[in-house]
Amino acid sequence: MPTLRSASNPSSSPSYPKQRGGVSTPNKKRSRSKSTESTPIDARSPAKWSSPRRSNGGVGEICNGIVYSNLSKSPRKRLYDDHVEKPKWNPRDPAQMLAVKEALHVATAPANVVCREEEQKRVLEFCKACIEQEKAGSLYVCGCPGTGKTLSIDKVKDSLVLWSGEEGLQSPDVLAINCTSLTNTSEIFSKIVAKFHSRKKINGRLSVLQHLQHLFSQRHSSSRRMILIIVDEIDYLVTKDRAVLHDLFMLTTFPFSRCILIGIANAIDLADRFLPKLESLNCKPIVVTFRAYSKDQILKIIQERLMVLGYNVFQPLALEFCARKVAAASGDMRRALGVCRSAIEVLEAELRNASQEQEVDIVTFDHMDIALSKAFKSAVVDIILALPQHQQIILCATVKLFRHCKRKATTIGELNRSYSEICKSTQIPAAGTLEFSSMCSVLSDQGLLKLGQSKEEKLRRVTLQIDTSDIIFAFKGNRFFQSCLEQ
Amino acid sequence: MDQTPAKSNSKPSQKKSPMSEPATPRRSLRLRSPHPKYTQSSQSPTKPKRPLPVSTRSPSFSPITPNPPESKRRKRSNSSDPKPSASTSRTLKRRVYYKKVVFDGGEFEVGDDVYVKRREGAESDAEDPEVEECRICFRTGGTVMIECDDCLGGFHLKCLKPPLRKVPEGDWVCAFCEAEKMGKVVERPKPPEGKRLRRTAKEKLLSSDLWAARIESLFREPDGSYWLRCKWYIIPEETAVGRQPHNLRRELYLTNDFSDIEMESVLRHCYVLRPKDFKEASNDGDDVFYCEYEYDIHWHNFKRLTDNDDGPENNEAGNDETYKFANDLSSDADQDSEYEEETTMDYSSFKNQSHELAANSRKGRIFGLQKVGITKIPEHVRCHKQTDLEKAKATLLLATLPKSLPCRNKEMEEITSFVKGAISNDQCLGRCLYIHGVPGTGKTMSVLAVMRKLRSEVGTGALKPFRFVEINGLKLASPENIYKIIYEELSGNRVGWKKALHYLNERFSDGPEVREEENQPIILLIDELDLLLTRNQSVLYNILNWPTKPNSKLVVIGIANTMDLPEKLLPRISSRMGIQRLCFGPYNYPQLQEIISSRLRGIDAFEEQAIEFASRKVAAMSGDARRALEICRRAAELADYRLKQPLESTRMSSSVNSNSKGKYLVSMADIEAAIHEVFQAPHIQIMKNCSKLGKIILVAMVHELHRGGLAEMTFEKLATTILSLCTSNREVPPGYDTLLKVGCKLGESRIILCEEGTKHRLQKLQLNYPSEDVAFALKDCSDLPWLSKYL
Repeated sequence: MPTLRSASNPSSSPSYPKQRGGVSTPNKKRSRSKSTESTPIDARSPAKWSSPRRSNGGVGEICNGIVYSNLSKSPRKRLYDDHVEKPKWNPRDPAQMLAVKEALHVATAPANVVCREEEQKRVLEFCKACIEQEKAGSLYVCGCPGTGKTLSIDKVKDSLVLWSGEEGLQSPDVLAINCTSLTNTSEIFSKIVAKFHSRKKINGRLSVLQHLQHLFSQRHSSSRRMILIIVDEIDYLVTKDRAVLHDLFMLTTFPFSRCILIGIANAIDLADRFLPKLESLNCKPIVVTFRAYSKDQILKIIQERLMVLGYNVFQPLALEFCARKVAAASGDMRRALGVCRSAIEVLEAELRNASQEQEVDIVTFDHMDIALSKAFKSAVVDIILALPQHQQIILCATVKLFRHCKRKATTIGELNRSYSEICKSTQIPAAGTLEFSSMCSVLSDQGLLKLGQSKEEKLRRVTLQIDTSDIIFAFKGNRFFQSCLEQ
Repeated sequence: MDQTPAKSNSKPSQKKSPMSEPATPRRSLRLRSPHPKYTQSSQSPTKPKRPLPVSTRSPSFSPITPNPPESKRRKRSNSSDPKPSASTSRTLKRRVYYKKVVFDGGEFEVGDDVYVKRREGAESDAEDPEVEECRICFRTGGTVMIECDDCLGGFHLKCLKPPLRKVPEGDWVCAFCEAEKMGKVVERPKPPEGKRLRRTAKEKLLSSDLWAARIESLFREPDGSYWLRCKWYIIPEETAVGRQPHNLRRELYLTNDFSDIEMESVLRHCYVLRPKDFKEASNDGDDVFYCEYEYDIHWHNFKRLTDNDDGPENNEAGNDETYKFANDLSSDADQDSEYEEETTMDYSSFKNQSHELAANSRKGRIFGLQKVGITKIPEHVRCHKQTDLEKAKATLLLATLPKSLPCRNKEMEEITSFVKGAISNDQCLGRCLYIHGVPGTGKTMSVLAVMRKLRSEVGTGALKPFRFVEINGLKLASPENIYKIIYEELSGNRVGWKKALHYLNERFSDGPEVREEENQPIILLIDELDLLLTRNQSVLYNILNWPTKPNSKLVVIGIANTMDLPEKLLPRISSRMGIQRLCFGPYNYPQLQEIISSRLRGIDAFEEQAIEFASRKVAAMSGDARRALEICRRAAELADYRLKQPLESTRMSSSVNSNSKGKYLVSMADIEAAIHEVFQAPHIQIMKNCSKLGKIILVAMVHELHRGGLAEMTFEKLATTILSLCTSNREVPPGYDTLLKVGCKLGESRIILCEEGTKHRLQKLQLNYPSEDVAFALKDCSDLPWLSKYL
């Protein structure tokens, strides 16, 4: 993190002082979103440095309120005026529908990656420098899932090859590996060697790694082609002794090493945690952080993807709503695309059912709302209400037990006693012990209870996974359970 | 496959040349044929024919031993003579193997497929019409005929109403089949009086009056008769599972059943083709069949035939093996039995039991062919009319596929739209769907029902063809094996999982090769998805990462019980999983009731309240449909059992007497009993059935528990209580060691929990179950009535 900030501050802070200011506390967030409201954002403006990853869902609600209150305000409408002239989208046309879905699909790589120009530039500059000076280097790219890491590095790779062609330098070999596809962690070295020496035979005595080390520690008169190694999901290489990861990064420290190593993973501190030795050798990889997308970035990326279509698919408000919600929850682009797609499907289903006269030709706010609630809803209360009666009684018994004893955990045996008490008092025939424990495991499957491990079935630890207030709320309307809880 | 089999007018002559390549399928059959009858081998089946071994073109006759003895060499030189005299061949003492034999005007080669006669009915041999009759005018010949894709009947274009001018593109179904599909009853035109409908070989084969086999080797016995060793084909009806809806009309299965049959019983060639050849050969006449799977007659399972396993061009590996196998057999036979036919027979019958009875066994007299997989239904079962109760029992079996799936319409619709949205277009967009729900709520069943429906839509052409791969996580030895299975399903080759992972990665990230049939969308259903979790979750990562690749055309449907599986996964995996979720909630009681009654529709076996009672009971506990069905089935069994008791004993039970009509419905009492059995824990049964002394011990423990209030007691204390109980109730007091033995038994069955160790006297004991259970079980015990005093 610190490296990134120091790198990016000079460029970004002067231009957007307001944006950089308040991102850390909730009330400042509110002020930020107010500023959004007062100064409409031009959708085509370059990426803004806004919030780092925000985690709590409360922000989304705040934003929601603003959106609702803003429904009638004019500046926002003016902002999207340019979209209106576009031809109308006909959702009944399967070809057009397919085009939209394709544009929103995760697999379709957009022509240019917006909102990641800064990071791309950094990586590209790094690679260029390495190639020009013919020296090795390593880079670590981290960020949350769905923030465009692999995509950006892919683009960098392409532009690097292009650049080296223009400059007349020897273009580097590129090796892209996803570590999940390795069957064995040390297989990565044989892949690298295979890239180097497709024709030359590998010396049988040395191991693959030793061969590589040998290769990089001697001066070779032959070609000084650089090799760019992109290692995706690099944390899968973490073994118990961390040897593979360590050896991999050590390859860049050899005097005549020719590899540029780019590792990609989610963890921000992978290098610090697993490679403390590298620091002492002063070859710690440079860290580039991909932050979670902010609302504006998500909005912009979706618009960029939809640009190819030439017609309006989403109401601007609906898109913004989606962007806000996703940014508040995770900032995961994949999720945002999924929500958009499911909103289209909501529209599709509506079209199938609705009569012809009612023309809907755009994804409205309501559709998006349904899709978002499908994706983000926590359906605990609904689930509790749909449970079979005896399982509800078990939950009831748990709440009662915890309320009386002020504890956080109990055992199956105790819970069974409490359950049979309730059953007895309400004159319901109680289930047997075996049946009871199987019901408990069903509840734990649904994520309502958590069962510990124990040799004795009776002594298994039971904790509640959900809030007791949820259960109480769910049973509010039910007199039977009310009386159970009050006893 | 998009063209209806058209019958062109040119008929290649059958007997043009015996040397013509038989590898190319003939296009003879349903044409206007100049020859009214094809009289290849049907003149007289009993008369031995002189075979003509052709050897000029294939000089090697699969030598058996590296050092052939003199006689063999002579024999080989003999057999290279195009027309060996009968006398010389008689003198040979060993089998001679050929690659190709010309027999009665037909040329047979190893690897060919032939019709084999079944010699029971003379009728089947009496004629062998090469040309099919029109199903409307019942005349052969004339103009072009068209084949219905459903009933495989042939029609003259002009006989149809309205008449067709030319063979239409695409699939064509005759009017009769179409009407039958709509549910109407149609009367097909009957042949004119006195004219028997002639059946072609194809029809006979498909009604199992004729068989098809694949020639594995050809040989001549020392006595000069020609034999062939063949692998049988069977029709889907003859497999253990019967004909399935997905079976094509012309589908056959290759079995692993070898038998030796005499050349005489071979009728003529037929052509059994692999799927890809079959597609190309859609115009190839009548004797073309389709074979995609091999059927194991012993284990009754199917294995997909791989491409390199067969086909005359590239069968190096596959055929080599079988060929060697045959050679081994024969070389053994050579050494063992030069002259003794008996020994050979023993050997072969040892090798395969069906061999002995298989077509044309040694003597040429036993023709009772024992075909694979046919099990005759016993007579008494067939004439027994099922009662309603028995029918109910059968339909309530979990294994029975219900005709409809009630109460899951919304979910099924969602799955359908999900799958269709993913595959209906040319560009298949990869996606994931996660289905979760408690056990017994119809998750897998719904997905499979949707897939069946979609497959039938593919059949009618409304949907592009797709591949469906179903994997159950429980059946995998280790999570990584899933790669192996997926790859095998996709390509038919079996490789190790590491290799499979490599290939799959290549395929899904770079897009498949240009081959058209490879390019179908793939729907991967993974049942019990949570079992694929490895320590670093890489298996799930890979599987869920593939759909996000541009050319993967992969749709993943995962099923598991846990609701929060995506949240338990690493964030990078749940990000790739997408947001498509589908929840199958537990059934409530009206739904369970509907499920049961929809299964029992038309069978009058259950009281209405009984079903409601069962469904209410289950819905209160778990909402598990399997449970509800089991209870109902058990209740039906109980009722059936009581009904079938001798009449005298049933007189006593009043419930049957009340049924005046002799109709017996499953009542509430039966359900109650079944519920008792299902829900009641087994320990009650054990307590009820344990020995007299065991019961006394249990009662003593309860007594002690009530008196002292302590859950634990020492064995010594228990013994004194038991002794006092026994003496006060005039029971013979047990010896100390007997008591110990019985106590140990109760401890072993975990009714009593014993403290670890061997301190017999002071060992602490404890009841494993609540004392109410003991009281319930032993309350009304007939042999020890005094026990209830102490409970």
